[in-house]
Amino acid sequence: MTRLKNAALAAVVFGTAGISTTYLAAFFGDGPVRWAPPVFVVGVACIMVGMMVLGAATDRGVGRLAVPFAFVWVLLVGGFAWVFRAPQSGDLWLGLPPAAAIIIYGIGFAPVLVLPLAYALTFDSITLRPEDIERVRAAGAARERGE
Amino acid sequence: MIQSAPLPPLAQPTIIAVALLYFAGVAAIGYWAARRTRTARDFFVAGEGIGLWALALSAMAATISGFAFIGGPGLVYTVGLGAIYLVLPAGITNSMGAWVLAKRMRLLAEARKLITVPDAIGARYRSPMAQGLSATAILVATVGYMATNILALGLVIDAIFGTGLTPGIWVGMAIVLAYSASGGILAGIYTDMLQGALMALASVLVFLFTLRLGGGMGGLSESVLAADPAWLGPWGRMAPTAALSLLFVFGVGSLGQPHVVHKFYMLRDPRKLRWYPLLMTVALILTLLLYFGVGFAVKALVSRGELAPLVRADDATPTFLLQYTPILLAALVFSGVAAAIMSTVNSFMNIAAAAITHDLPVAFGTKVQNELRWGRISTIAISIVAALVAQVSGTLVALLGIFGWGLFASTLVPALAIGLNWEGATRAGAVSSIATGLVLTLALETAAFFKWLTVPQGVTIAGLALVASMLVFFVVSWLTRKTAAEIDADIRLVMSV
Repeated sequence: MTRLKNAALAAVVFGTAGISTTYLAAFFGDGPVRWAPPVFVVGVACIMVGMMVLGAATDRGVGRLAVPFAFVWVLLVGGFAWVFRAPQSGDLWLGLPPAAAIIIYGIGFAPVLVLPLAYALTFDSITLRPEDIERVRAAGAARERGE
Repeated sequence: MIQSAPLPPLAQPTIIAVALLYFAGVAAIGYWAARRTRTARDFFVAGEGIGLWALALSAMAATISGFAFIGGPGLVYTVGLGAIYLVLPAGITNSMGAWVLAKRMRLLAEARKLITVPDAIGARYRSPMAQGLSATAILVATVGYMATNILALGLVIDAIFGTGLTPGIWVGMAIVLAYSASGGILAGIYTDMLQGALMALASVLVFLFTLRLGGGMGGLSESVLAADPAWLGPWGRMAPTAALSLLFVFGVGSLGQPHVVHKFYMLRDPRKLRWYPLLMTVALILTLLLYFGVGFAVKALVSRGELAPLVRADDATPTFLLQYTPILLAALVFSGVAAAIMSTVNSFMNIAAAAITHDLPVAFGTKVQNELRWGRISTIAISIVAALVAQVSGTLVALLGIFGWGLFASTLVPALAIGLNWEGATRAGAVSSIATGLVLTLALETAAFFKWLTVPQGVTIAGLALVASMLVFFVVSWLTRKTAAEIDADIRLVMSV
């Protein structure tokens, strides 16, 4: 469990460092930097997914939640990678140009179909069990009694 | 970002009637809640007695201000797809918030009976200083946010009833204050339910109208692509890193919004959190449909030559509603705008009053005797200050409106969201990061506003302050790891389950 939390924290630190680098390059470079947008995307993906893992990980690990977390990371990085390289075309995907469709339907909307359901379906086994609440209540009561 | 320019006149009988009906509904809920508010816990955390629907709808209503209905569509009309990055993380943020904060905040209420967000920071680091510093940051950001929202409410009331701006500001403030000071957050939660439902309904109906009018998404896209293909490009009219900065600030920064996080304390049964992300996300997405739909439809209508280009981008929603939708729907949306603003103001009133009545005294080692009475007095005092600020120069109000979200994010994300999930975080790290966020946001936003500082293209000050406070948090925590204070056993348990 500690190793998982450490890995998640490392992802958050790595993402923070990446975004800091792009900002520094913007301040001290000459004009827009070509590598900044991809680094920024990876940084945001690492921070958001790292935070979710950090929050979800307990002494039981994250279990099946590894799949939706990986999905969101791949969606963010893969979706934007596709957008960076997408050729201009006259086609419309579900009524939008391909890059706009990937951004709105993929990066914006697809997580809605996955994350809230993953949270609900693993709530009892991973997130919060009745015995966890009782342990916290007992710890709070013990503190009030000065134990 | 919020409405700061006048709206077109809206004084039509149907719009006035729906607005009056809405205000009457709010007043009735406020009266009902006031009779049930008997203790400080009722006033600040609704007696930890609200249900899941109330939590989800009130959190959604507090998240979305009038900007989503007026300024947002104007921004979409102006910069195109780039404006989407403000709301793009909405599919992730509520689930992320549930994993990172919801359970821990709710369990802190079980263990310690905490009532404010700075309470959680104080308990986590055993530090009245961290609690006081975070309360100061919340107070500064809140007064600014409230001033801009009250100004926006004054503009809406003036447009609907023709009262003039100054009476509009004071009438609007008085309405929110009436139920907030008497019924506290309990009144706020249940008016938020009405307001959230109204906002979601109005947004969905307007979005359906935009699709019908534009010939579906395909019809809208073809119209815009023929005239202005860059508008529908992946970043719209923004630089890629500017758009991605919005994704960062509004995605990661969502973990530091106290008016939303604070509500996790209030849920009656912690196990009801199970369905919170789903309900909150669906409600949020539905309510944001108008944000994108109206901006897109107006751009398409202008591209087709069916509508003259807008003189002011903020006219997008009023123009669309008054020209292309039934008057009853327009009336519903304008009441929805008032609802969005009022629900946000109410939440801010409550957390600011808690900062003054509860957190700052704790930071100075004292405790207010009658927190309920002083909570009400503080609510009134803060509201008057915010309304006075809203009345003074537009420059000051515009400046205050800029930094609210960013200040919350840079001061609270590291110390609260990361700190409650990482035992290695230290008191020194928390205090340093809160101070960094506070000073950087205020100094840089002020310098940029008065043009003493030019920020490079693609950099947002909110993003810069957030990333800097996170770095400071990690570095100082690492440097002070050997001298870090022990975490209390009950807090350690909350952090580990």
